[in-house]
Amino acid sequence: MAKYVGARQKRVEDPRLITGNARYLEDVQLPGMLHAAVLRSPYAHARIDSIDTSAASRLPGVVAVFTGQDFADLNPLPCAWQAGGVTNNANTPRVLEIDKVTHTGMGIAVVVAEDRYAAEDALAHIEVAYSVLPTVVDAKKATEAGAPQLHENAPDNICMTWECGDQDGTDRALGASDVVIREHLTNQRLIPTAMEPRGAIGSYDPGTEEYTVWMTSQAPHVMRLLMTAFVMGIPETKMRCLSPQVGGAFGSKIFLYPEYPMVAVLAQKLGRPVKWTESRQENYIATTHGRDHQTDFEVGALRDGTITALKVTTYANLGGTLSTIAPGIPTSLYGSMLSGTYKIPHLHCQVYGVYTNTAMVDAYRGAGRPEATFVIERAVDLVARELNLDPAEVRRKNFIQPEDFPYEPASNLLNGLAYDSGEYEKALERALEQVGYREFRQEQQEARQQGRYLGIGLSSYVEICGVAPSKWVGLPGEGWGAGLWESANVRVHLTGKTVVTTGSQSHGQGLETTMAQVVADELGIPIEDIEVKHSDTMSTPFGYGTYGSRSAAVGTIALYNSVQRIKEKARKLGAHMLEASEEDVVYQDGNVFVKGSPEQAKTIQEIAGAAAVAYDLPAGMEPFLDDTAYYDPPNCTYPFGTHICIVEVDTDTGRVEIKRYLSVDDCGPVINPLIADGQVQGGITQGIAQALYEFAAYDDSGQLLTASMMDYAIPKAEHLPHFENSHTVTPSPVNPMGIKGIGEAGTIASAPAVVNAVVDALSPFGIRDINMPLTPQAVWRAIQEAGR
Amino acid sequence: MQKIPITVEVNGRKASREVEPRLLLVHFLREALGLTGTKIGCDTSQCGSCTVHLDGMAVKSCTVLAVQANGSQVTTIEGLGNGELHPMQQAFWDNHGLQCGYCTPGMIMTATKLLEENPNPSDEEIRDGLEGNLCRCTGYENIVKAIRAAAETARGGS
Amino acid sequence: MKVEGSHTIPAPRERVWELLNDPDVLARCTPGVSKMEAEREGFYRATLQLSIGPVKGRFEGHMEVTDSREPEAMTLTIEGSGAPGGVRAVGHITLEQEGEQTVVSYHGQPQISGRLAAVGARLLSGVAKKLAGQFFNRLSEES
Repeated sequence: MAKYVGARQKRVEDPRLITGNARYLEDVQLPGMLHAAVLRSPYAHARIDSIDTSAASRLPGVVAVFTGQDFADLNPLPCAWQAGGVTNNANTPRVLEIDKVTHTGMGIAVVVAEDRYAAEDALAHIEVAYSVLPTVVDAKKATEAGAPQLHENAPDNICMTWECGDQDGTDRALGASDVVIREHLTNQRLIPTAMEPRGAIGSYDPGTEEYTVWMTSQAPHVMRLLMTAFVMGIPETKMRCLSPQVGGAFGSKIFLYPEYPMVAVLAQKLGRPVKWTESRQENYIATTHGRDHQTDFEVGALRDGTITALKVTTYANLGGTLSTIAPGIPTSLYGSMLSGTYKIPHLHCQVYGVYTNTAMVDAYRGAGRPEATFVIERAVDLVARELNLDPAEVRRKNFIQPEDFPYEPASNLLNGLAYDSGEYEKALERALEQVGYREFRQEQQEARQQGRYLGIGLSSYVEICGVAPSKWVGLPGEGWGAGLWESANVRVHLTGKTVVTTGSQSHGQGLETTMAQVVADELGIPIEDIEVKHSDTMSTPFGYGTYGSRSAAVGTIALYNSVQRIKEKARKLGAHMLEASEEDVVYQDGNVFVKGSPEQAKTIQEIAGAAAVAYDLPAGMEPFLDDTAYYDPPNCTYPFGTHICIVEVDTDTGRVEIKRYLSVDDCGPVINPLIADGQVQGGITQGIAQALYEFAAYDDSGQLLTASMMDYAIPKAEHLPHFENSHTVTPSPVNPMGIKGIGEAGTIASAPAVVNAVVDALSPFGIRDINMPLTPQAVWRAIQEAGR
Repeated sequence: MQKIPITVEVNGRKASREVEPRLLLVHFLREALGLTGTKIGCDTSQCGSCTVHLDGMAVKSCTVLAVQANGSQVTTIEGLGNGELHPMQQAFWDNHGLQCGYCTPGMIMTATKLLEENPNPSDEEIRDGLEGNLCRCTGYENIVKAIRAAAETARGGS
Repeated sequence: MKVEGSHTIPAPRERVWELLNDPDVLARCTPGVSKMEAEREGFYRATLQLSIGPVKGRFEGHMEVTDSREPEAMTLTIEGSGAPGGVRAVGHITLEQEGEQTVVSYHGQPQISGRLAAVGARLLSGVAKKLAGQFFNRLSEES
């Protein structure tokens, strides 16, 4: 009898957040703490000829100044997820660069001072002599003859060339198609822009030789592993990592950044804790970016709208060096998902991962799936347009049907893994009905006669969540070479109060609430009796953290499994206490009783007490109700849905107004609709932002021109519509709760919905594509060019 | 650097310190007074995370020097509810008006002033009123809802 | 980015040319100059204190006259850097006599780097115009 799961439970983490009492990294103060500021390269490609720190060192308040040479004994940062099955010419940043930089913002010196003002002031007094080298910022141009070469081990700036699917079969199928549509798409570079910038604090205990590092991370256990075993060469048992309250991340805080090992080593060198926090400008030039694909595709179809083949070539810009999981994003999480929600018999995708003189590109909310969804959802609309068919009809005709699951797309998804379950048409029909599709088409016609341009855009997406299965990511040659299982520990204390720890991490998603809801229902105790703790390697079991919408589909399942074992032990102990046979007792809603006699029950609180005092336990039973589970899912999960956007375009100004935005998502059973809808709304916003507003612009010399919130166009409240959100529920067969994940769905679905809507609005002008972001200028220009 | 004595009444308590003339009010609040509820999200006065009330006006405390606040009254998120939840804080909680929480203190400080100036705003007026505050998590849907709910509460609605 | 503009100086072309080639005049007229010296003919080293929107700082640099056609045109190569970033530019200046006055036109495409580019870029052409205005106003006074 579920009381909490499925309810719009208010978040338990909120009281501290709304009162200013939450402790984020910037709020952590340690006695004797020093402050670090990093000198960053103003050039995108340069040799460092000399660095003179003497003047800076002499300034009042400055404790020490270090350069790359002082960290030369540390290894470069590792690239943990390389593209599977192919050679990756990996180049990663160092804690501080020593002789060369390949993008602006790379650290080359650090000042440690008594306060941040003094540290920042001193940066201006470090003299650096650079030899500036030629630059390239465009991924495709970087592979052409004569382009500046960034790394000796990466000829033509190519990090890796990866492919999936069947090239010959795809070419043959394209040749046999009634129509073949070709298009070039740009999936522009974005900057994640969590409201809280990144930071880290290092401290060192010379007595125990142990480091403690606080940081803004989505995966503190992974950070500890990478820092100790890969960068510093010390046992991981000599470091404790903690993420305090994290103020948003969207992927950008998954990765190991140079400053994290840097503060640890600085604390050890100086004998005092050292804090570093980035400014927003540093966040824009030195934290990872996302997307940045240039794609050419060919889609083949029959006259009736049946899609026959899809062939895709993508240049993925990876930046000047590789971030932690950069090559995995435009390959496994992109190429593999290009089939979308459709039965496409032949598919081939070739990806070039390319170095350029730009900031590192890695996972950003959706990570590969928004790019894939953008390609296939634009392609389907173009097929409809070419054949003069309704885009909803083309979708229906090609959908994978419920009876086709498990469905293995022609992309050869993740070495043979298959889509788990789906009712794609149901979600589409629900969305069409809610939006009033027929009526809208009528309204659109009438509006056009009055010179008003309305458009409707559909996006029927499927994504891959719960990035974890050892069956896939643990495969030799698949890059990680390790399963990304998740852990949970449940301890029911003497009074029945319960502490849950997870290897996952919460930074805005409300896991402290949703995890507590699951435990409360399963264990049959009030939610107030449960504390969910996370983000400290010392007090939580090893886990791989939060990303890829995996905290529900993987982390919460670990928790669920742990509670089942607690319940089983409680049931056995309850039977002992009731002097009944184990087979005859059941655990229900926090009580253990003999079947048919619920009035004579032992409560979980009584049983927890008995387990803890432990003077009368069944033979062989250990004291205490305490269980740790490690969950390695057999497959990923595949949430899906349909989003619909209605826009009106002012053809005089090019301004796009979103009139309605509607989502029907299917993430399996919803643990907390309040939180799930919040995730969808925030996700949609980031996709709308990509479609209409945001773009990380570099000039030809590799200078980021959108390096502050003055220029990088984060949407404001006035730029966004009211969202109409609903759900269908198709459980996943992959895990016992049937849950799929919801954190990225909105971002994955929304950009193509908006672009399809704008292109639909402008179809009378003969416009079939406009590059994102669809700013008034871009739209106006497209209209002018079409009119000529 | 030469220091200047200032006295600021913060959340009803007078605080006197000697500060550098260039010290920002937000750093004064966070570092000199330990009131870390006020957040810093940008360098350029766009994000509004640092919004506080200065003599009854919502200001971005990253754009005010501590010395400019000399003799003034400042209210931060810590002082908004006088030890209880302010109706706006309650409305943000009830309506899931926050996710990561980083923009939330500034958002709430702006929202309370918004309702003081316009006790019965339309959704459009709420959205316009949040022009100086950025949120990256919520898409503003539930922030607008929370402010509308707080307005209803203040007008004695249910 | 492009920087261009023109100013009218109330003096004949030869006089303006003379002023533009006098290191002392340049030092007096260039806004923010704290130090300027001619290392050799047509090659100047300078230290400037400038503020461009939110970006403030000290810049060290040099300017070289790389092409000179007295009294009608010159090409300057400018390189400067400081904590807020760097500037490299090639600027073209032409002098045209109109009656008793001289119209000085300039254009160039500076390449900027660092914080200057990141935060100051969109303000730079405006600031450059303002600084140029100050320069030519002072030059007019010198004439």
